[in-house]
Amino acid sequence: MQVTRRVFTSGLAIGLAAPAVLRGASAQGGTIKIGQVVPITGPAAEAGKYAMAGAKLALEKVNKAGGVLGKQLEIVTEDDQTTNPGAVLAFSKLATNADISAFIGSIRSTQMHAMAPDILKNAKPTMFGGTDPTLTKLGNPWLFRCRPNDGYSGRVIATFGLDELKLKKWGIVHSTDAFGTNGAKALAEALEKAGVKPAIIQGYSNQSQDFTPVVLALKQAGIDVLGSYFTFENDLGIFARQLRQLGVTAPWVGSPSIVNVTALKLAGPALYNTYGVADYAEDSSPEAKAYADAYRAVMKVDPDNQSSWCYDAVSLLATAINKAGKTDPQAVREAMLSIKGYKGAEGEYNFDQNGDGLHGYNIVQNKSGKIAFAKHIEFKD
Amino acid sequence: MTSITDAPPAVRRTAPFGLLGYVVLAAVVVYYAATHPFDGYITNILMQAATYSVAVMGLTVVLGLCGQINLAQAAFFGLGAYAVGLGTVDYGLNFWLCVGLGLVLVVAAGAFLGTSTLRLGGHYLAMVTISFQQIVTLVMVNWIPMTHGPDGVSRIPRPGLFTSAQGYLAFCVTVLAVVGYMVWRLPASPLGRAMRAVRDNELAASVAGIDVQRTKVTAFAICASLGGLGGALFAGGFAYVSPDQFSFAESIVFLTMVLLGGVASPIGAVVGTGLLILIPEWLRFLKSVPGLYLAIYGLAVILIVLFMPDGIWGWFSQWTRRFGRAAVAAVPADAAALELRGSVGHNNEVLRVEGLAKHFGGLKAVDGVSFTVKRGSVHALIGPNGSGKTTTLNVLSGIYTPTAGKMVLDGTDVSNLPPHRRTIAGLGRTFQNIRLFRSMTAVENVIIGAEHPGNPVGKAHHALDARARAALAFVGLGDRADEMVTSFSYGHQRLIEIARALAGNPTLLLLDEPAAGLNSTEKVELTGLLKRIAAKGLTILIIDHDMTLVSDVAEHITVLNFGRRIADGDPVSVLNHPDVVTAYLGSEPDAPH
Amino acid sequence: MDLVLQLLFTGIGIGSVYALVALGFVLIFRATNVVNFAQGEFSMVAAFLMVIFAVDLEWPYWLSFLLALAGMALYGVIFNLGVYYPLRHRTYLPVIISTIGASILVANTMLALYGPQPQVLSPVFETPGFNVGPVYLDSQYLLIIVVTMVLVAFQYWFFEHTLLGKKLQATSQDKEMASLLGIPVATMIMITFVYSAVLGGLAGILVAPILFVSIQMGGTIALKAFAATIIGGFGDVAGAIIGGLALGVIETFGAAYISVPYKDGFAFLVLVLFLVFRPQGLFGERVAEKA
Repeated sequence: MQVTRRVFTSGLAIGLAAPAVLRGASAQGGTIKIGQVVPITGPAAEAGKYAMAGAKLALEKVNKAGGVLGKQLEIVTEDDQTTNPGAVLAFSKLATNADISAFIGSIRSTQMHAMAPDILKNAKPTMFGGTDPTLTKLGNPWLFRCRPNDGYSGRVIATFGLDELKLKKWGIVHSTDAFGTNGAKALAEALEKAGVKPAIIQGYSNQSQDFTPVVLALKQAGIDVLGSYFTFENDLGIFARQLRQLGVTAPWVGSPSIVNVTALKLAGPALYNTYGVADYAEDSSPEAKAYADAYRAVMKVDPDNQSSWCYDAVSLLATAINKAGKTDPQAVREAMLSIKGYKGAEGEYNFDQNGDGLHGYNIVQNKSGKIAFAKHIEFKD
Repeated sequence: MTSITDAPPAVRRTAPFGLLGYVVLAAVVVYYAATHPFDGYITNILMQAATYSVAVMGLTVVLGLCGQINLAQAAFFGLGAYAVGLGTVDYGLNFWLCVGLGLVLVVAAGAFLGTSTLRLGGHYLAMVTISFQQIVTLVMVNWIPMTHGPDGVSRIPRPGLFTSAQGYLAFCVTVLAVVGYMVWRLPASPLGRAMRAVRDNELAASVAGIDVQRTKVTAFAICASLGGLGGALFAGGFAYVSPDQFSFAESIVFLTMVLLGGVASPIGAVVGTGLLILIPEWLRFLKSVPGLYLAIYGLAVILIVLFMPDGIWGWFSQWTRRFGRAAVAAVPADAAALELRGSVGHNNEVLRVEGLAKHFGGLKAVDGVSFTVKRGSVHALIGPNGSGKTTTLNVLSGIYTPTAGKMVLDGTDVSNLPPHRRTIAGLGRTFQNIRLFRSMTAVENVIIGAEHPGNPVGKAHHALDARARAALAFVGLGDRADEMVTSFSYGHQRLIEIARALAGNPTLLLLDEPAAGLNSTEKVELTGLLKRIAAKGLTILIIDHDMTLVSDVAEHITVLNFGRRIADGDPVSVLNHPDVVTAYLGSEPDAPH
Repeated sequence: MDLVLQLLFTGIGIGSVYALVALGFVLIFRATNVVNFAQGEFSMVAAFLMVIFAVDLEWPYWLSFLLALAGMALYGVIFNLGVYYPLRHRTYLPVIISTIGASILVANTMLALYGPQPQVLSPVFETPGFNVGPVYLDSQYLLIIVVTMVLVAFQYWFFEHTLLGKKLQATSQDKEMASLLGIPVATMIMITFVYSAVLGGLAGILVAPILFVSIQMGGTIALKAFAATIIGGFGDVAGAIIGGLALGVIETFGAAYISVPYKDGFAFLVLVLFLVFRPQGLFGERVAEKA
C-alpha cells in the first residue's frame, strides 16, 4: 500500500512535468500556420471531427498547389471542449504562438462572443462559422464569417414558405440557446415584414427528452407550415418522430441542422420530404460538387456544413495571404475584403465591410433520405 | 462526523508572525502578478485561477469548516458575474456598486436557501442546492429581456483603476490574498470554532450553547458571498459572461477543486483550483483521441480521493508536520481557580418538572413524570433499561420536544426553548456515548463549552482560554490541555466532556450515565470528581445504572419505570421501596451493559 | 381531454424511465448511504453495449440484450471494487467525489472508444405505435411502462419473500447488526451494486431507441431520477417509483400548460417547495439522533 502510494505520487509529479517538455519540441519555422479552435471533446465533438476534416482537405489542396508565399501551410488545432471558457483558453493559447498568422474560430456563436475580446486584442484575421448576426456588428475588424448569418436563414425560410409553398399559417419551433432564439427572431421578423404573424412560436431547451407538449401545441394551433431552429441532432430526431406520430403532416422548412448527416441517420423517415436551408448543398454549384467528392473519398460519409465552411476558410485565407504577398494582419485583412466573387463550396464569397462573406442560402429537400438541391435564394442587401 | 478530514491541523497561535509573513508573501505574489510580462494565454489562466479560487475558498468554509455540502457554487458565482455584467453594461452602474449589489444578492439567496433547508442537511442539502443551480441556469437562459438569454453579456468593462489585464489580474490576486487570510484565520475565531463544532458533532454543539442553525446559515452565506465575489471578479476579467459558464457541471468542478486541494486550508483551495485548471491544459497534448484527457482527469480524481484523503495540500502538510513539530508547553492552570455557580439563587428549586410526557407514535417513552431538583443537591434519576431515563434527559436538554408537560429551570420556563437556549439559561450536559469535537484539542473543546452568551466569563479569548484550562485542571487533565481529544483514553474523554459542561458555568449539570464504560479505578476517580463538584455547590442531575455510584453521591433519587415515576425520595427509603425492588428484580443486573 | 390523456401517457412513459433509474439510486443509497453520481453512466454504458452487440456485430436482439445485461453485472462488480469498496470506511463525501470521477472517466472512455456521434438502436417492436381512440401509444414507451411495473412487483417479492432479499434489507438497515448475524455485508453490498447496475442498464437499453445512444444520455436522466428519489422520500423504494412517475407527469403537464423552456425547472421547483415548506410530508416526523 505504501509503495503504491509513493509510486502514484511520484508518477503524478512526472505526469505534471512531462507536457512542459513536450511542448518545446513543436516550435519550428518554415511553414505558415493557421490556428483552429475546434471542439474535440464535449457535446459538439462530432462536429469538430468534420470541421478538422474540411480544413485538412483545403490544406492539402493549397499545399499541392504550391502552398502560401512559397511555404507549406500548417494547421494547429486546440480543443475548446465545447464550452465558452474552453474556447477562450484554446484561442488565447493559440494566440501566444506568434507564428500563427490567422485563425479559424468556432461554428458556435456564444463561443465567438466569448473569444471576441481576445480576437480583437490579438488583431489577426479570424474566420468563423457562428451565424448570430450581431457578431459581425461588434465593430471587431478581424472577424470574417464564412457562412451566411441567421438574418439570411430566417428570410430564406420565410421567402421560400410564402412564395414557393404559398403557406401562411406558420408555427416556429426553436432551441432557447443563442442560435435558436436569434434564428426564430429573424424568421418571425421576416414573416411579419411580409404581413404574416406566426400562429405559434415555441422554444425548448437543449437535450429535451420529450416533445409531446410542443407537438400538441403546434397541433392545436392548426399550423399549415413549420419553421424550425434545432441545435442538436438528437433533439431534432426525437421531435421529428413525435411530430409525425402525433399526426402533424404540415410541410417543414428547417434550419441547417435538419439536413446534416447525423440528423438524417437519427431521424430516418420522419424527416422525409422536409425542406432545409443549407449553406452547403452538394448540387448547388460545381465547386460544391467537387468538394463533396473529395470529402467523401476521405471520410466515407456525405459532407455537410460543419466541414464545408472550414474548407472555404482555409482556402480564403490562403488566397488572401497570397494576394497580400505577406502575412501582415492588416494587409491580409484588406486582401480578404477585396476578394470578390470567390466561388467556394458554400457559395460565392463577397466580403462586406462587416466581414460577412455570404449573403444567401440554398433550399434543399430530403427525398427519402437523399438531399436534393431545390433552390438558391440570394439577397443583395 | 461529517468532515472528510480525519484530523485537520490544529490552529497554531502564531498570529503576529504569521500575519507578517503572510503579508510579505502576498505582497511578493501581487507584485509579481502586476509586473511580470505574461502572454495572453497565461494571463487568462491566472485570471481564471484567481477568480475561481475565491469561490472555492467559500467551499473551504462551508464544507471544510462547517461540514455542509453546496452543489450550487457555480450558481452563486454566476449571480455575482451577472450582477456586474448586467449592472455595468445595461444599467451603466459603477463597477464597485455592481460588485456590492451582487454580494447582497448572493448573500440573500444563500441565506434563504440555508435558512429553509440546512436543518435537513446531508443529501437533502445536496439536492436543494442542485435544484437551485438548475433553476438559476434556466432563468439565465430563458429570461431574455433581463439576462440577454444564452447570448450572454459581452463587453463588460473593468473598473477605472484596473483597465489593463495585468493590473486587473494583480487586483484579483490581492482580493484572493485578503480572502485567503480571512479564511485562514477563521477556524480560530469564535465563529470558526462554532462551525467546526457543528461539523464534528451537531448535537454536542447545540448543548454546548451553539446555535447550530444560525452557524450553518452563516457558513452558507459566507460561501455564497465568496462565490459571488469570485464571479464578480470573473466578469470583469473576461469581459463576457453567458449561462453555460455557470452550469451544474461547473459546480461539480468547484467541489472537485476544493476536495482535490484539501478542505482544511485556503491553500488547499488555491492548489486544487490551480491544478484543475492546469491539468486539462497540460493534457491537451493527448487531444488526438477525443475524450482521452478528460478520461484521465476522471481517473486522477478517483486516485486522489483514494490515495490522498485530505487532498493534495492536506497530504503535503502532513508530510511537513512530520518533521519539526515542537511540543507545545501547556500553560499551567490552577484547578482551584474554577468558579462554579453555587447554591445562591432565587429559591430552593433549580429544576421543576411537571407532568412531562414524550410519546413516539403509540410508544409512551415518558408518561407524565414530575419531580423537583433542589439547589445544591446531587439528584439521581434511575430505572431499569427502557424506563425512559435517557428520553427524559433528552427532553430536558431540548433535543426532543415534549408531547406534554412543563420544565422550569431556575425560575425560567424552558419547555419550548431549543437546546442552545437552554444552555444559555443555565443547563450543562454530557452524553452517554461521548460526543466530543474530534478534530480539536481538549482545550478547544472546553473553550467551545465556555463560549456562549450568559457565561459571566465574557468573550475575551484569554478569559475563555483561562477558564477552559481551569476546568480541565479541575477534572485532572490540566497538563494535557493541548493534545487532540482523540489521543485521550475513553475515561479521560468523559472527563473532558464534563469539563466542557463545567466551563459553561451551568446552574444545573445533567450527566447521562457518566460511569458507562469506565473501569473500576476510573469509577472511583469519577465519584471523587462528582463529590468535588457537589462541594462547590453546583446542582447535579445524574442518570446511571451504577447503583454504587448513585448511592455514593446522590442525596435524592427519582425512580422511573415504563415512563412513569414509581418512587421519589432519599436513597435509603427509595432503594427499599417495594415497587423499586419489583422493578429491578428479575430484570438485568445493575451493572452497566 | 384527448390532450390530457396524451400528455398523461407521455408523462407516465418518461416517468417510468426516471423511476427505473431512481430505483437503482435508492438501492445503492440504502445499502451504502452514498449518492452514486455515476448512476446515469450505467444506462449509457448498457446502451452502448447494445449498439456494439446488436448493431455493429449484428447479433440477435435477445442475445445482445442478455449479453448487455451480463456486461452490466460485471460492470457493477468492477464499479463496486474500484469506486466504492476502498472508501467504505470513510464519510459520504469522498465517495460522492469518487463517483463523480468515475462518471467523467466512464463517459470520456466511451467517447475515446466509440466517438462522439449519437448512435441509433432500433426499437424492440416493428410497429412504432398505434392509436387507441385519439391517443397515440408509442410501443416502446408501453414496453417501458410494463417493464417498470413488472420490476416493482419483482422487487417487492424479492425483498419481502426471499432469504437473499431479506439479507439485503437487513444489511441496508444496520450493517453492524447484519454482520453480527453472520450476513456477509461486503457480498451483500456487491450484490446491490450489481443489481443497481443491471437496473440502470435496463433503463438505458429500453430508452435508447427513443433518446438515441450518446455519451450524455445518462447525465440528464440521472439528475431527474435523483430528484425523483428526493420527491419520493430518500431511501424508499416505493417512493422512488412514485417520485419518478410524479416527476414525469409534472414535467409534461408543466411544459404543456406553463412553459416548455422551463420544463426542466418544474421538477426542481416542486422539489425545493416540498423541502422548504413540507419536509415532514416526505418522511414523516424527523427522529432525532439518539443521544
